[in-house]
Amino acid sequence: MILEVLNVTKTFPLGAERVVALQDVTLFLAPQDFATVIGSNGAGKTTLLNVIAGACRPDRGRVKLAGRDVTHWPAHRRSFLIGRVFQDPLQGTAAHMTVAENLALAVKKGPRSLSFLLTARRRRFLAETVGALEMGLEKRLSERVAYLSGGERQALTVLMAIVTRPKLLLLDEHTAALDPANAEKVLAITERLVAEHGITTLMVTHRMDQALSVGNRLVMMHKGRIVLDLEGEEKRKLRVEDLVGLFRKIGVADDALLLGSGGNGAMAEEAKKLAHLL
Amino acid sequence: MLILHAAEQGLIYGLMALGVYLSFRVLSFPDLSVDGTFPLGAAVAGILILQGTNPFLAALAGGGVGLLAGAFTGLLATRLRIPGLLAGVLTMIMLYSLNIRIMGRPNLSLLGRPSALVQLSQALGVPRAYENFVAAGIFCLAAFLLIFLFLHTELGGALRAVGQNPQLVRSLGMNPDNLLILGLALSNGLVGFSGALAAQYSGFADVGMGVGTIIAGLASVIVGEILLRPRSLFFAVFAAIFGSCVYRLAISLALRYGAALGFTASDLRLLTALVVLGALAAPTIRAALKGETS
Repeated sequence: MILEVLNVTKTFPLGAERVVALQDVTLFLAPQDFATVIGSNGAGKTTLLNVIAGACRPDRGRVKLAGRDVTHWPAHRRSFLIGRVFQDPLQGTAAHMTVAENLALAVKKGPRSLSFLLTARRRRFLAETVGALEMGLEKRLSERVAYLSGGERQALTVLMAIVTRPKLLLLDEHTAALDPANAEKVLAITERLVAEHGITTLMVTHRMDQALSVGNRLVMMHKGRIVLDLEGEEKRKLRVEDLVGLFRKIGVADDALLLGSGGNGAMAEEAKKLAHLL
Repeated sequence: MLILHAAEQGLIYGLMALGVYLSFRVLSFPDLSVDGTFPLGAAVAGILILQGTNPFLAALAGGGVGLLAGAFTGLLATRLRIPGLLAGVLTMIMLYSLNIRIMGRPNLSLLGRPSALVQLSQALGVPRAYENFVAAGIFCLAAFLLIFLFLHTELGGALRAVGQNPQLVRSLGMNPDNLLILGLALSNGLVGFSGALAAQYSGFADVGMGVGTIIAGLASVIVGEILLRPRSLFFAVFAAIFGSCVYRLAISLALRYGAALGFTASDLRLLTALVVLGALAAPTIRAALKGETS
C-alpha cells in the first residue's frame, strides 16, 4: 500500500465543545490508485488531507506512507513523499520569483546547497520539463509567476508537485478557483501527468461530475466518516443521480449543502433538476 | 565635502540597509532587533580595538555577534512562536543592557585608534581625503556581490521563497523556521558589521547610536525602490545601498539648511518616519483614490 490511514480520529475545539472532523477513518490507497473524495462542507475532506500531509496531528490513529509510519513526522519531512496542490493558485508558487526559479526550487526536496539555482544546463532541463504542460511556458521561463494567469500558475503548481515523482499526490479542490475552461485544462494536465508517472493520487473535489469521471476510485465522506468507497467497475457504473440519491439517503437534504458553498450555480441547478427526476 | 561625507555615511550605513532589505523585503519580516545589533557591532568592535585587536578582525567580530543576535531573534520568532515584531523588540531591549556590559560604560572613544577603513585605503594608496569613501565603497561592493550571488543560489532562492510563501518551502521538504533563522542571522550580521565600521568611522561607539536604525534602514530601502523602480534582483539589492546614500545626503542637506526653514536636528526622526509612512501607505491610498475598497 502507498497510503494507509488507520483508525484516524481528529477533533477541533469549538468553544467548550470539540467538533469531530474525522471519526475513526480508515483508508488504503494501492500503488497508482487515483481516488476522488467527495462530501458536503464539514465532511472532513480537507482535514483528511491535512492529517495525511502532516499539517495537523490526529488525536488517535496512524498514517503510513509507502510502508513507513509517518504519524509523527513534521509536514516538511513528509513532503519528501508527498506532493500537494491547494485550491488557491497563489499557495503553490513564489509570486515574485520567475517560472524557472520556481520550478528549479521544486526539482528537489530537502535542504539546499550554495550551488547556483539556475545554470544553463538546468535551464534547458526546466524548459523541457515545463514544455510538458503544452502551455508555452517554456518561452516564458524568465517571467515572474505573478504575471501568469490563474490556470497557468496552477498548472505550474501541479508540475512542481509532481516533478520529484512523489509517492502520493494530494489535490485539494485544485481547480475550484479557476474559470471552467482553465479548470478543465488543469484537470486534463493533472490526469495526463499522473498517468504518465503512475503517481498515486487523492483528489478532493466539490464537483460530482469530476468525482465520477476522474480516477479509478471514489470515496464519499460525511460527518467525518467514509460512507462510500467504490472502485473500478462499480465506480464506472455510477451516475450523478446515483450520487445525489446517496447524499439524500444519508440525510444531506439541502441541495446547496450537497454541492458545497464552493460549487458553482450551474451545478446546483443541474443537481436540483436531477433530484427532481429521481 | 558635504556630498563626500554623505556618500561615506551612505555606504557604511548601506551595509545596514542591505541587512534591512534582507529581513524586510526578502523574508517579509520587519525585524526591529537591528536597533540593538547596530550598536552591538559597534560595541564589540570598539572594545576589541581598544584592547589592541586588528580593526578588520574587530569589524568581522562585530558582524559575527550581529549574526548570533539575529539568530536569537529568529529562534524567538520560530521555536517560541513569539510574534515577529515582539521578538525583535525583545532582542533590541536585551542588547541595550548587554551593549553597556560589553563596553563597560555607555560609550567608548576610538579617536586616534586604528580604523579598518583607513588601513584598507592606505594599503591601496588612496589619497587621504578619499580614504573613508573608497574603503566603504569596497566593503559595500563586496557585501553587495556576496548578497546578490547568494540570492541566486539554491539556498538563497529558498530564502526568497520563504518570505513569499512559507507553505511552498515546507512542501519542498525544507523547514521554513530554519530558513527564517538563517535569514535573520545574515541580516543582522550585516547590520553588526555596519555598526562596527560606523564606530571606526566616527571614532566612537555609543549605546544610543542604534536608536532609529530600523527606520533609517527602511527609509533607505524604500527611497531606493522609489527612485530606481527595480525590476531585477540586481537593482533591488543595489537600490538599498543607493537609497542609503540618497537618504544620508538628504539628512546632510536637512542638517545644513533645515535651520533656515525652522527645523532642528531633533526633527529628523519625525521627517524620516513620515517619509517611510508615506511610502508604506502609498499603495493603500492609491487604491482608495481609485475607488477600490480593501
